Amino acid sequence: MDTRPYMQDRAAEEFFSRLAEGKFQSTRCAACGAAHYPPRVVCPECLGEDLEWFDLPREGTLLAFTWQEAAMRCRKPDVLGLVELEGIGNVFTRIDAAYEDLRIGQRVIFDAWTSPDGLVLHQFRPLEGG
Amino acid sequence: MKEVYIAGVAMADVGRHVLDPHELGARVCAEALRDAGLFPREVEGIATTPHGYMADFRRFPSQRMAEYLGIAAGFMMDVDSGGNSSSAAVQAACDRIRLGRIRSCLVFAAQKEIPKKEVQKDVVGHFHLIKAANSLYDSYQAAYGVISPLPFYAMAVQRYMHKYGVTPEDVARVAVLLREHALRHPQAAYREPLTVEEVLSSPLVSPPIHRLESSEMHDGAAAVVLVSEELVKDRSRAVRVAAVAEAHDPTNFVPYRGEIDEFPCVERAADAALAESGYRVEDVDVAEVYGAFAGLELIMYERLGFFPRGEAPTAVREGRTTHGGEVLLNPSGGRLSLGHPAYVTPLLEITEVVRQLRGEAGERQRPGAAVGLVHTEQGFINGSIVMVLDRVA
Ligand SMILES: [Zn+2]
Repeated sequence: MDTRPYMQDRAAEEFFSRLAEGKFQSTRCAACGAAHYPPRVVCPECLGEDLEWFDLPREGTLLAFTWQEAAMRCRKPDVLGLVELEGIGNVFTRIDAAYEDLRIGQRVIFDAWTSPDGLVLHQFRPLEGG
Repeated sequence: MKEVYIAGVAMADVGRHVLDPHELGARVCAEALRDAGLFPREVEGIATTPHGYMADFRRFPSQRMAEYLGIAAGFMMDVDSGGNSSSAAVQAACDRIRLGRIRSCLVFAAQKEIPKKEVQKDVVGHFHLIKAANSLYDSYQAAYGVISPLPFYAMAVQRYMHKYGVTPEDVARVAVLLREHALRHPQAAYREPLTVEEVLSSPLVSPPIHRLESSEMHDGAAAVVLVSEELVKDRSRAVRVAAVAEAHDPTNFVPYRGEIDEFPCVERAADAALAESGYRVEDVDVAEVYGAFAGLELIMYERLGFFPRGEAPTAVREGRTTHGGEVLLNPSGGRLSLGHPAYVTPLLEITEVVRQLRGEAGERQRPGAAVGLVHTEQGFINGSIVMVLDRVA
């Protein structure tokens, strides 16, 4: 069974292969400067196709968190959450902490995570004193 | 523009069915047409939805039914937009009738799911369906193995509870109230009494959502017959479509910008539908709301304009949303207790509101109900359709 997630475009392929190299990046439009998350192959602001990769902020704020029961890669008790990166948007991600230890508004920091089936994904963990 | 009326409705019991969805569909179509007093040869349009989420979908179901019943249609459409599918079909039919292109349309949905247990017994054999469920989400959501929007809904409920100080008991109480409503509905999937303690002691499926605050994907079928005025056979039972409106947000499941518990499309669709109908939200006597989870039910009540933000829990606690209250919300038992065959759900909602406006809702009748509202949504409430219905006679 091929459990790899499908890649909707080359931006997704690029995003995950950059993650595997430890880079947490998305696209920005060279023409109008708009930053996108998730990455695009075309700029929704000006429709330009000249896009460059830039480093996303590695720290963010935990907006919400939960876990899911049956799933293909992350399952109970893996925590999933939504992290707000200031000025960029919300990142849906794995959270490297126990559900009970988390709270809304907590500061969290990027980390790479290798799933049991060998996929490198992003996760966030609480910052000390955050 | 011509007026559109709902002349016939029918629904099968919600739960598990052994019949093929085609036969389930044919039976409710026939019943709805009998209710409308129309024969298939008088039907000028037909529209339907896929017959399941966890199902190998057979294409062209409208054409199959048109042949089966003998309908020479001037409008035919198979719609797949998730939870909005059958309401989108109703809306398209209303527009065709308004424009005078057709005078009648049969909209039906019949859903039959492969039971979860069967999938779990043979994961390899059903893997293409699991993979299809996962690829419903974009790459950045799918990568985490999501096969249901449940974790997104859980996070929305968590934020809503956090922002407005809503307690677990407040959320559980909605599930209990919907069950009380379903006790009066002979076709509901769940008909045993429920307590707040039982809800809160049921397992967490995705915190803070408990099993008994979460709807199951059921089997079911329903049909609605829409007609223009000249085909209304019995004015005393006709219900008018006073308005339909649709609104979508530029989001695909979890929003990448802004709040995740606000669902702006709901308010936009409700405001537009009410404005077009000429009614105010205070005029609505009865409404069917698409809340697939107890916490979402509260959020939807607020976004539709029935209560200010954060005040739905108090309204539910004070009995303002039930029999004898200011507005009767989800008298059918809602998605949680009537049951939730998602493709059929909008037609189940319309059926309930039509029965209420006709005065045919039996034990769950709201006396004198004259104005009704139906709300449906798709995805993670990324889009909404709102209909306002009223009594003619
Ligand atoms: Zn641009």
